[in-house]
Order: sequence, then structure tokens, then C-alpha cells
Amino acid sequence: MKIFPENASSYGGEVDFIFWLITGVVAVASVIVIFLLLYPVLTRRRKLTKTQRYQKGEGFRNLRLIYLGILLLAIADFFFLYKEGPTWTKIEETLPDKEFHVAIIGRQWLWEIVYPGPDGKLYTADDVKKINQFYMPVNSVVHMDIQSYDVIHSVFIPNARFKQDALPGRNITRWVKMTKTGTFPLSCAEICGIGHANMKATIIVQNKEDFKKTLTKLYKK
Amino acid sequence: MNTHKKHGFWHRYFFSLDHKDIGFQYMLTIFFMVSIGGFFAYVFRMHLAFPDMKVPLFGLVTNKDYNMLITNHGLIMMMWLALGMLLAVAGNFLIPIMIGTDDMAFPKLNKISYWIFLLSVILMIASFFMPKGGLGVGWTLYPPLSVGDFGYNTPYKSFADRFFTANTFVLLAIAFEFTSLLMGGINFFVTTLNKRAKGMSLLKMPMVVWMINIANLLFMFSVGPLVAGTFMLLLDINVGTGFYDAYRGGDPLLWEHLFWFFGHPEVYVILLPPLGILAEIISVNSRKPLFGYKFILTLTLIAAVLSTMVWAHHQFVAGIDPRAATVFSIFTIIISLPFAGIILAYIATLWKGDLRFTLPMKWALGAVALFTLLGGFTGLHLGASVFDIYAHDTSFVVAHFHYTLFPTVIFGSFAAIYFWFSKFSGRKLNQTLGNLHFWLTFIFFNGFAFPLFLLGLAGQHRRIADYRQFEFLMQDPLPLYRKIATISAVILILSQFIFLFNFIWSLKRGKKETEDNPWQANTLEWQTSSPPPHGNFKVYPVVNYGPYEYNRPDKDKDFTPQNEI
Repeated sequence: MKIFPENASSYGGEVDFIFWLITGVVAVASVIVIFLLLYPVLTRRRKLTKTQRYQKGEGFRNLRLIYLGILLLAIADFFFLYKEGPTWTKIEETLPDKEFHVAIIGRQWLWEIVYPGPDGKLYTADDVKKINQFYMPVNSVVHMDIQSYDVIHSVFIPNARFKQDALPGRNITRWVKMTKTGTFPLSCAEICGIGHANMKATIIVQNKEDFKKTLTKLYKK
Repeated sequence: MNTHKKHGFWHRYFFSLDHKDIGFQYMLTIFFMVSIGGFFAYVFRMHLAFPDMKVPLFGLVTNKDYNMLITNHGLIMMMWLALGMLLAVAGNFLIPIMIGTDDMAFPKLNKISYWIFLLSVILMIASFFMPKGGLGVGWTLYPPLSVGDFGYNTPYKSFADRFFTANTFVLLAIAFEFTSLLMGGINFFVTTLNKRAKGMSLLKMPMVVWMINIANLLFMFSVGPLVAGTFMLLLDINVGTGFYDAYRGGDPLLWEHLFWFFGHPEVYVILLPPLGILAEIISVNSRKPLFGYKFILTLTLIAAVLSTMVWAHHQFVAGIDPRAATVFSIFTIIISLPFAGIILAYIATLWKGDLRFTLPMKWALGAVALFTLLGGFTGLHLGASVFDIYAHDTSFVVAHFHYTLFPTVIFGSFAAIYFWFSKFSGRKLNQTLGNLHFWLTFIFFNGFAFPLFLLGLAGQHRRIADYRQFEFLMQDPLPLYRKIATISAVILILSQFIFLFNFIWSLKRGKKETEDNPWQANTLEWQTSSPPPHGNFKVYPVVNYGPYEYNRPDKDKDFTPQNEI
């Protein structure tokens, strides 16, 4: 049984790794918590004396096991943060040199993908616009200028483990590098009105030669 | 001490100043709201699993209906059930009687706060019947969608056209509800500080009184920005200002910050009172003092402070600076520590206890287990900002918050109702029906919420009316998960009728409660008659002991009422 959809981006594996790391540690912690809960429930120590029962839990000595539990969780927490920090920086805070640049603009209820024209520059007169069709070359860093005309949308590419809200009045540049050719879904993950459920685009990842042909075709139209 | 005579229906349900009656009014109002919220959940869950079916009692669900149903389900459950049940109902029933006084410090203010609450409920219900239909923008009300023109895609013509919309009415309802809870909160706070029984120092107060008051403080601290934000959104809708309009110098992110600056502390406002309720029930049913009373209190205060610094974890990918997200991620992960301490202290209370598996104890143990294992631990997944890039706005989040809120709000409320019912009504709930209700709720809640984790991990995003649009979400076994979740949710909702029947029947015909203190508990509410008279106590109690002195070695019986000499 598959848990995640197929990973097709350069950083998707790292996102999945964080999930499995946390899940693994949490699974161990869960076993401990289940034991701690079930042991008193199943044994029901009926014969203890009043003095043994009258435990108010004051002072460090009596609370030491709880402090130990908190300490262990703290170590696990900071280990997660230590492990995920570099991935966050990589996906969200840095922009590797671009090999292709598009603008992806949300509007009720479709995605406009704006490709640079023959001059290779975005936001010039010869730009080409496609609705809901997002072509990109494989194994290349693609910069996406994420924008919105009207309400908040959200670019969600499950196979790339990528998501970014598109806000009106703002340009947010993020990157993705797909490592597999094929078609992948792109959906809107932020409720944007009646047509929210229908708002989707297709990502078509092609090898570099096919992609060049596609671009030439786009320019001809 | 008092000479009140028995009052008629109108007096009891509309004009009474008695905190117990007002608490009961709140409770009935909230039952009414929950039944609407639950019905909505039933309709949209049915639609998700069986998209072409005409849902019985509703009909075919269009995209517009679907958006309206999920929005109002969220609003009702968060704002009216969770906040109302745990602040207003618990506070009203428990605070005066547990601190050993006759009533609230300001009974008339208490009455007014209920009326304003009722007004907010009426406005909320009215919003369903506006000319353009109910609100369908998600319960978080993100502008620009919630400003109106975009939600319906039809231009507005006049002021009346703008005012008589669900957007305006829902925002007014929220503003009124918060006014009501603020007035109630001030009342609880003054009552707790000034009206405690003689001898009850702050550290001899039951934990639930502490927790409700800390929750209230947190609510008062965080609600201001949201009320201001709500007012600006009302102006945007009705007067045409541009606070959230990016093309006129505003910023839609501003709302998200104001909303979540309240919205995240709100989660802890909701969480703390049930934690207090669990403390009472676990201690009584373990026949042991609450382990680490001061420790729990300290951790709660730390958690309350931390909870005001985590709000932007709802916005990791919403367009905030990614460097800021790192800070919020750290605080979010750290806030797991105080709660781990509190839960471990509860578990330590169980150890070496002489456990009694009464109905409230079952609910309490169920709540602790589900909240910790599936609600709390998945919070670590989402708090880690990297995985949140993927999981944000997917069903994984939906499963996570149902696993945090359902065990605390619903299990906690049921634990409280099964625990205190006989005290406030003088009659017992039927135990067989109670057990049936518990097990059905426990099993089918898991059956409903757990598949959502798997659906979320498979990439199912939220608030989609029809998943058939997305091929990858229709692969096996995802439709099956959706059906399991739906069928479980329907049984879960149906099994609440067992409770409803039990509640109403027992209120009128249940077995009479013969003892004042059936659980052999220490706190003051058990030291007066069941039901307590108007004024609560024949003689004001004087407190000599802490609230959790079970199995004191120097006493013969295993409990020591707080007012024992």
C-alpha cells in the first residue's frame, strides 16, 4: 500500500524523510504512553496502603520521571528541528539559479501559466499564456512567480511535495525541480469560491528536446 | 440562607439569575447549535463518499451547498460548541459552587451575557437564510473571498444588498458572541478572585477552576485583535474600505495574522477547561491526590504564554517570510513540552491508584489516550514546517484537529456531564445507555477520523466538493477510506441520540440521586444537596483542606472533603 503519491521532485524525498523520522520517533513514544496508560488500568493495585497512595507529586525528586519524559521529548523535538531546518532553507528560503522561469497566476477558477516569449524574458510583450497547462523541462530548476488576480489560491503539487499560497497583490517566487517526466496534477488547496473543487491544472514534465519543441509550438500560436 | 421559591418555566429559562439555571440555558442553546453543526457534517460527509446520491433529509449537494455546509459546520463547532460549552457552560455550572459561594459576583451581567449569546445564535442562524445563501468561504473567513463579491461572483448594488448577506451576519454573530464571552469571563474572574469560601487560598482551588480562569485570561488577551479585525472586515464588506484589499493598499495576510493571533490561543482556550475537568475526574476515580498540582499549574501558565507565540504555524506557506516561519516552527514544537508534562502528571495520578472505571472515568481515559496519541503527536508532524508544506490544507490537518478537539471538547464535555449530572439534576443517568454511548462514540470517532490521516497523506486537499475531479484521489483504496469515514461519522452522529434520549429521560424520570456525594469526592459542590438550592449552600462552607486529599494517611475514610474540620 502506498502512503504518499509518487515523488517526482528533487526535494520531495527530504519532505517524506521528515515525515518518516517523526513518525518513527512518535511510534516509540506511543508505545511508551500506551504502556504507561494501560499498566495502571489493567493491574489496579488494590492492596496498597494509604501512605503508598498519598502521593502529591511535589518537589523535584518526586517529579523526576516526568522531567525525564519532558527532557526526552525535548531532545526529540530539537532533533526534528535540526533535521528539518536545512530542508526548509533549501525549499523556501533559497532560489537556485534558474533554467526556466514561468508565472503561475490563480484566478477564479483556473490557473494561468505565463511562459516567457522568444526573448526568454518574462513580463515582456511576447509572453505566451496557457490555461491549466504547465509544461516544464525535466531535471531543471524552474522558478515560479506565484500570483493571484482575485482571491487567495494555493498552488499544490502533491508529487513535488510543494505548496504555496497565491495572494492578490503579491509576487512570491519559489522553485521546483522535477526529476521524472510525465504528467502530474496541480490543484488549488485554498478555498476560493464555488469553483474551488474544479480548479486544477496539469503539469507536463518533458525531456529537454520535447520541451523545446513544445515551446516553439507555443510561440507559433 | 435563601428563601427563593420555585419558579415557573419562563422565569427559569429566561429571567433566572441563578448561575446553574443560566448554565443550563447555555447548555440547551449549545445542544441546539451542535445538532445543526452535526447535521451539516452528516450531509457533506455523505456527499463526499457518495457524490451522486441525494442525501436523505437534504437532497443533492451542489458545490455552493457544500462550501456553505463546511463553513458553517466549522464556525458552529469552533465558536459556539467549543468556546460556549467549555467557557460559558462549565464556568457557569462549576465556578461558584466549586469555590463555595452562592452565585456569580454579577448575576445580572451573567444574565445579559447569556442574552447576547442568544442574540449571536439568532444572527448566526439568520445568516443561513440571506438572499444569496449561507456563507461559503471556509470558517477562517479569509478575505478577499469573504468580502463578498468574490464569494458569490455577483456585483453588489446597494448598502442593503451588502448588509443583508451571510458575511455581515456571521461577522456580527461572532462579534456578539465574543462580547458575551468577554462579559462572562470578567464575571468568572471577579467571582473567583473575590468570592471564594473562607479558607480557600488560590492553591486550594480545584484545578478546573484554575483552568477555566487561565483559559479566560488567554481569551481576553487574544480576542482584541480579532474583534478589531472583524470590525475592519465588516467595514470592507459594507462600506467599501480596503483594509484587506491588496489593490487599495490593504493586505489579505493582515486578516490571517489577526485571525490566527486569536485562533491559535483559542485552541488552548478550548483545551484548558477539559484538561481541568479530566484532572477532577481522574483524581476522584483514582482515589489519589492529583499528582503535581503546582507543577501542572506552572506548566499550564507556561503553555498559555507560549500559545500566544505560535499562531503563524497556520501560515507557513501562506506568504509570510519563510525565515519567520522557522521561529514559529520552533515555538510550536516547544509547546508540546508543557502539555507532555501535564499528560504525564495525569498518568502518574493513575499509577498506584485504586481505579474505579465509572462512566466519567472511561470518557476521561479515552480523552487522554486519543488526545495524546493521535492529536498531540501528529501536532509534531505539522509543527515541523517542512512536512507542513505538504500536509497544509490537506485532510491530514483535518484529522489532526479532529483528534485534538473531539477528545477534549466532546469527550471532555461528556465526561463532565456524566460526572456532574446527578449533582445538578438530582437524578442519575442510565448507566447501560451511557456505556453504549461511550463505546459507540469511541469506536466510530476513530473510524471517522483515522482514515482522514491516510487520505491526507495521499494528497487529498481540503474543502473539495467532488474528488472525482482528481484522478489520483480516486485510486484504490482512497474512495474506500472516504466511505469508511462517512459511515463511521454517520453512526457517530446517530449514537449521540442515545445520549440525548438518556439526558432528557433521566432529567424527568431518572432514578433519584439519594446521596449528596455519590463519587466520594472532596470538592465543595459534593458537600451540598443534589440538586443544590438557589444559593448553593445551606451554610457557607469553610475550607480546611486542598481539593485532592484522597487516601490521607491520618484519616479513616479514603476521602477528605475540603470543608471537613
